[in-house]
Amino acid sequence: MKKFTDKIKSDPYYKAWLKEAWPYLTGAILLSVFQIVSLAAAGSPWGVSGTLANWGAWLYKLVGGSVDKWYYFASDAAQAKLAAGPLQDPGTLRNLGLIAGALFAVLIASGFKFKKIKTWKQIVAAVLGGLLMGYGARIAFGCNIGALYSGIASLSLSGWVYAAFLFLGAIVGSKLLVKYFM
Amino acid sequence: MSKEVELDCMGEACPVPLIKCEKALEGMDVGDVLICQIDHSCAMKNVPEWAREQGHNVEIEEVDDGEWEVIIEKVK
Repeated sequence: MKKFTDKIKSDPYYKAWLKEAWPYLTGAILLSVFQIVSLAAAGSPWGVSGTLANWGAWLYKLVGGSVDKWYYFASDAAQAKLAAGPLQDPGTLRNLGLIAGALFAVLIASGFKFKKIKTWKQIVAAVLGGLLMGYGARIAFGCNIGALYSGIASLSLSGWVYAAFLFLGAIVGSKLLVKYFM
Repeated sequence: MSKEVELDCMGEACPVPLIKCEKALEGMDVGDVLICQIDHSCAMKNVPEWAREQGHNVEIEEVDDGEWEVIIEKVK
Protein backbone atom coordinates (compact mmCIF):
# COMPACT_ATOMS: atom_id res chain seq x y z
CA MET A 1 0.00 0.00 0.00
CA LYS A 2 2.82 2.34 0.95
CA LYS A 3 4.53 1.55 -2.33
CA PHE A 4 1.32 2.23 -4.23
CA THR A 5 0.75 5.65 -2.65
CA ASP A 6 4.41 6.57 -3.18
CA LYS A 7 3.99 5.70 -6.83
CA ILE A 8 0.92 7.92 -7.14
CA LYS A 9 2.59 10.79 -5.28
CA SER A 10 5.48 10.90 -7.73
CA ASP A 11 3.28 10.55 -10.80
CA PRO A 12 3.53 13.72 -12.92
CA TYR A 13 -0.16 13.54 -13.95
CA TYR A 14 -1.27 13.25 -10.32
CA LYS A 15 0.84 16.29 -9.49
CA ALA A 16 -0.38 18.41 -12.39
CA TRP A 17 -4.08 17.42 -12.28
CA LEU A 18 -4.88 16.71 -8.64
CA LYS A 19 -2.11 17.96 -6.38
CA GLU A 20 -0.95 21.35 -7.53
CA ALA A 21 -3.13 24.40 -8.05
CA TRP A 22 -4.44 24.86 -11.57
CA PRO A 23 -3.59 28.07 -13.44
CA TYR A 24 -6.09 30.92 -12.98
CA LEU A 25 -7.03 30.70 -16.67
CA THR A 26 -8.02 27.03 -16.38
CA GLY A 27 -10.16 27.87 -13.37
CA ALA A 28 -11.80 30.79 -15.16
CA ILE A 29 -12.68 28.71 -18.22
CA LEU A 30 -14.08 25.83 -16.15
CA LEU A 31 -16.12 28.21 -13.98
CA SER A 32 -17.60 29.79 -17.10
CA VAL A 33 -18.46 26.46 -18.68
CA PHE A 34 -20.05 25.04 -15.54
CA GLN A 35 -22.06 28.17 -14.75
CA ILE A 36 -23.61 27.76 -18.22
CA VAL A 37 -24.34 24.10 -17.42
CA SER A 38 -25.85 25.18 -14.11
CA LEU A 39 -27.96 27.88 -15.79
CA ALA A 40 -29.26 25.35 -18.31
CA ALA A 41 -30.01 22.73 -15.68
CA ALA A 42 -31.51 24.94 -12.96
CA GLY A 43 -33.15 27.57 -15.16
CA SER A 44 -31.76 30.47 -13.15
CA PRO A 45 -28.28 32.02 -12.92
CA TRP A 46 -25.72 30.73 -10.45
CA GLY A 47 -26.04 32.10 -6.92
CA VAL A 48 -24.81 31.02 -3.51
CA SER A 49 -25.95 33.29 -0.70
CA GLY A 50 -29.66 33.42 -1.64
CA THR A 51 -29.78 29.70 -0.88
CA LEU A 52 -28.22 30.35 2.53
CA ALA A 53 -31.18 32.62 3.35
CA ASN A 54 -33.54 29.78 2.38
CA TRP A 55 -31.55 27.39 4.58
CA GLY A 56 -32.10 29.85 7.43
CA ALA A 57 -35.83 29.90 6.73
CA TRP A 58 -36.03 26.08 6.67
CA LEU A 59 -34.06 25.85 9.91
CA TYR A 60 -36.34 28.45 11.49
CA LYS A 61 -39.39 26.43 10.37
CA LEU A 62 -37.82 23.30 11.80
CA VAL A 63 -37.83 24.82 15.28
CA GLY A 64 -41.43 25.97 14.88
CA GLY A 65 -40.91 29.46 13.44
CA SER A 66 -42.72 30.96 10.46
CA VAL A 67 -41.39 33.32 7.81
CA ASP A 68 -44.72 33.61 5.93
CA LYS A 69 -45.12 37.23 6.94
CA TRP A 70 -41.50 38.25 6.29
CA TYR A 71 -41.16 40.78 3.49
CA TYR A 72 -38.13 38.98 2.06
CA PHE A 73 -40.07 35.72 1.60
CA ALA A 74 -43.40 37.39 0.72
CA SER A 75 -43.44 36.66 -3.03
CA ASP A 76 -45.34 33.65 -4.35
CA ALA A 77 -42.13 32.31 -5.92
CA ALA A 78 -40.26 32.46 -2.60
CA GLN A 79 -43.18 30.82 -0.77
CA ALA A 80 -43.41 28.06 -3.40
CA LYS A 81 -39.67 27.41 -3.11
CA LEU A 82 -39.84 27.18 0.68
CA ALA A 83 -42.92 24.93 0.52
CA ALA A 84 -41.19 22.56 -1.94
CA GLY A 85 -38.35 21.94 0.54
CA PRO A 86 -34.55 21.80 0.22
CA LEU A 87 -34.41 18.60 -1.84
CA GLN A 88 -36.35 20.28 -4.68
CA ASP A 89 -34.09 23.34 -4.63
CA PRO A 90 -31.31 23.45 -7.26
CA GLY A 91 -29.45 26.07 -5.20
CA THR A 92 -29.29 23.75 -2.20
CA LEU A 93 -28.02 20.84 -4.28
CA ARG A 94 -25.45 23.10 -5.94
CA ASN A 95 -24.18 24.50 -2.64
CA LEU A 96 -23.90 21.00 -1.18
CA GLY A 97 -22.06 19.94 -4.33
CA LEU A 98 -19.72 22.89 -3.92
CA ILE A 99 -18.83 21.85 -0.37
CA ALA A 100 -18.48 18.17 -1.31
CA GLY A 101 -16.36 19.06 -4.35
CA ALA A 102 -14.05 21.30 -2.34
CA LEU A 103 -13.64 18.58 0.29
CA PHE A 104 -12.95 15.96 -2.38
CA ALA A 105 -10.34 18.19 -4.06
CA VAL A 106 -8.46 18.84 -0.83
CA LEU A 107 -8.63 15.18 0.25
CA ILE A 108 -7.33 13.83 -3.05
CA ALA A 109 -4.48 16.37 -2.95
CA SER A 110 -3.80 15.11 0.63
CA GLY A 111 -4.05 18.69 1.84
CA PHE A 112 -6.79 18.26 4.46
CA LYS A 113 -6.05 19.74 7.85
CA PHE A 114 -7.96 21.01 10.87
CA LYS A 115 -6.52 24.44 11.41
CA LYS A 116 -5.94 25.89 14.83
CA ILE A 117 -7.57 29.14 15.79
CA LYS A 118 -4.62 31.36 16.51
CA THR A 119 -6.05 34.40 18.22
CA TRP A 120 -9.43 35.66 19.46
CA LYS A 121 -9.13 38.29 16.74
CA GLN A 122 -9.70 35.60 14.11
CA ILE A 123 -12.99 34.61 15.78
CA VAL A 124 -14.17 38.21 15.98
CA ALA A 125 -13.18 38.88 12.37
CA ALA A 126 -14.83 35.68 11.10
CA VAL A 127 -18.12 36.26 12.94
CA LEU A 128 -18.25 39.97 12.15
CA GLY A 129 -17.21 39.39 8.53
CA GLY A 130 -19.77 36.63 8.10
CA LEU A 131 -22.60 38.73 9.51
CA LEU A 132 -21.69 41.76 7.38
CA MET A 133 -21.31 39.67 4.21
CA GLY A 134 -24.57 37.82 4.82
CA TYR A 135 -26.49 40.99 5.58
CA GLY A 136 -24.91 42.89 2.68
CA ALA A 137 -25.55 40.07 0.22
CA ARG A 138 -29.27 39.95 1.05
CA ILE A 139 -29.73 43.73 1.10
CA ALA A 140 -27.97 43.92 -2.30
CA PHE A 141 -29.98 40.93 -3.62
CA GLY A 142 -26.84 38.98 -4.34
CA CYS A 143 -23.31 38.18 -3.31
CA ASN A 144 -20.18 38.20 -5.46
CA ILE A 145 -21.60 35.20 -7.31
CA GLY A 146 -25.29 36.05 -7.81
CA ALA A 147 -24.93 39.81 -8.19
CA LEU A 148 -21.39 40.18 -9.56
CA TYR A 149 -20.56 37.06 -11.55
CA SER A 150 -24.03 36.13 -12.76
CA GLY A 151 -24.92 39.82 -13.10
CA ILE A 152 -22.07 40.47 -15.51
CA ALA A 153 -22.67 37.15 -17.28
CA SER A 154 -26.30 38.26 -17.86
CA LEU A 155 -25.04 41.52 -19.41
CA SER A 156 -26.55 43.47 -16.55
CA LEU A 157 -25.15 46.91 -15.68
CA SER A 158 -25.75 46.19 -11.99
CA GLY A 159 -22.96 43.59 -12.05
CA TRP A 160 -20.44 46.22 -13.11
CA VAL A 161 -21.68 48.72 -10.51
CA TYR A 162 -21.32 45.93 -7.96
CA ALA A 163 -17.73 45.31 -9.16
CA ALA A 164 -16.76 48.97 -8.75
CA PHE A 165 -18.02 49.12 -5.16
CA LEU A 166 -16.64 45.68 -4.36
CA PHE A 167 -13.24 47.07 -5.33
CA LEU A 168 -13.70 50.13 -3.09
CA GLY A 169 -14.81 47.89 -0.24
CA ALA A 170 -11.77 45.66 -0.74
CA ILE A 171 -9.45 48.69 -0.43
CA VAL A 172 -11.07 49.71 2.86
CA GLY A 173 -11.06 46.08 4.04
CA SER A 174 -7.35 45.67 3.25
CA LYS A 175 -6.48 48.81 5.20
CA LEU A 176 -8.46 47.55 8.20
CA LEU A 177 -6.80 44.14 7.88
CA VAL A 178 -3.29 45.60 7.91
CA LYS A 179 -4.22 47.87 10.82
CA TYR A 180 -5.75 45.21 13.07
CA PHE A 181 -4.06 41.97 11.95
CA MET A 182 -0.44 42.81 11.28
CA MET B 1 27.15 35.16 7.68
CA SER B 2 23.62 34.94 6.31
CA LYS B 3 20.83 34.24 8.72
CA GLU B 4 17.66 32.17 8.65
CA VAL B 5 14.36 33.62 9.76
CA GLU B 6 11.33 31.45 10.52
CA LEU B 7 7.95 33.04 10.04
CA ASP B 8 4.94 31.29 11.57
CA CYS B 9 1.91 31.84 9.34
CA MET B 10 0.03 28.73 10.49
CA GLY B 11 -3.69 29.31 10.82
CA GLU B 12 -3.51 32.58 8.89
CA ALA B 13 -5.69 33.09 5.83
CA CYS B 14 -5.02 35.22 2.76
CA PRO B 15 -3.70 37.80 2.44
CA VAL B 16 -2.09 37.78 5.89
CA PRO B 17 0.79 35.34 5.07
CA LEU B 18 1.73 37.35 1.97
CA ILE B 19 1.79 40.69 3.81
CA LYS B 20 3.75 39.12 6.69
CA CYS B 21 6.33 37.72 4.24
CA GLU B 22 6.65 41.08 2.47
CA LYS B 23 7.28 42.83 5.80
CA ALA B 24 9.72 40.19 7.06
CA LEU B 25 11.77 40.16 3.88
CA GLU B 26 11.98 43.96 3.87
CA GLY B 27 13.99 43.91 7.08
CA MET B 28 16.40 41.21 5.89
CA ASP B 29 19.73 41.38 4.10
CA VAL B 30 20.67 39.93 0.71
CA GLY B 31 21.58 36.27 1.14
CA ASP B 32 19.30 35.80 4.15
CA VAL B 33 16.70 33.05 4.04
CA LEU B 34 13.08 33.38 5.07
CA ILE B 35 11.23 30.20 5.96
CA CYS B 36 7.52 30.84 5.87
CA GLN B 37 5.33 28.17 7.48
CA ILE B 38 1.92 28.03 5.82
CA ASP B 39 -1.20 25.87 6.10
CA HIS B 40 -3.43 27.86 3.75
CA SER B 41 -3.46 26.57 0.18
CA CYS B 42 -4.16 29.98 -1.43
CA ALA B 43 -1.08 31.42 0.28
CA MET B 44 0.80 28.50 -1.24
CA LYS B 45 0.05 30.06 -4.60
CA ASN B 46 0.43 33.78 -3.97
CA VAL B 47 3.49 33.79 -1.67
CA PRO B 48 5.81 31.89 -4.08
CA GLU B 49 4.32 33.81 -7.02
CA TRP B 50 5.11 37.16 -5.41
CA ALA B 51 8.61 36.11 -4.31
CA ARG B 52 9.54 34.80 -7.78
CA GLU B 53 8.17 37.97 -9.34
CA GLN B 54 10.51 39.94 -7.05
CA GLY B 55 13.38 37.83 -8.37
CA HIS B 56 14.10 35.84 -5.21
CA ASN B 57 14.99 32.15 -5.09
CA VAL B 58 12.01 30.13 -3.95
CA GLU B 59 11.66 26.54 -2.84
CA ILE B 60 8.56 24.83 -1.52
CA GLU B 61 8.61 21.93 0.86
CA GLU B 62 5.55 19.91 1.84
CA VAL B 63 6.03 19.30 5.53
CA ASP B 64 2.78 17.45 6.26
CA ASP B 65 -0.76 17.11 4.87
CA GLY B 66 -1.81 20.69 4.22
CA GLU B 67 1.36 22.20 5.67
CA TRP B 68 4.13 23.76 3.68
CA GLU B 69 7.35 25.70 4.11
CA VAL B 70 8.06 28.34 1.52
CA ILE B 71 11.78 28.97 1.57
CA ILE B 72 12.74 32.33 0.13
CA GLU B 73 16.35 33.40 -0.36
CA LYS B 74 16.63 37.15 -0.69
CA VAL B 75 18.79 37.88 -3.73
CA LYS B 76 18.49 41.64 -4.04
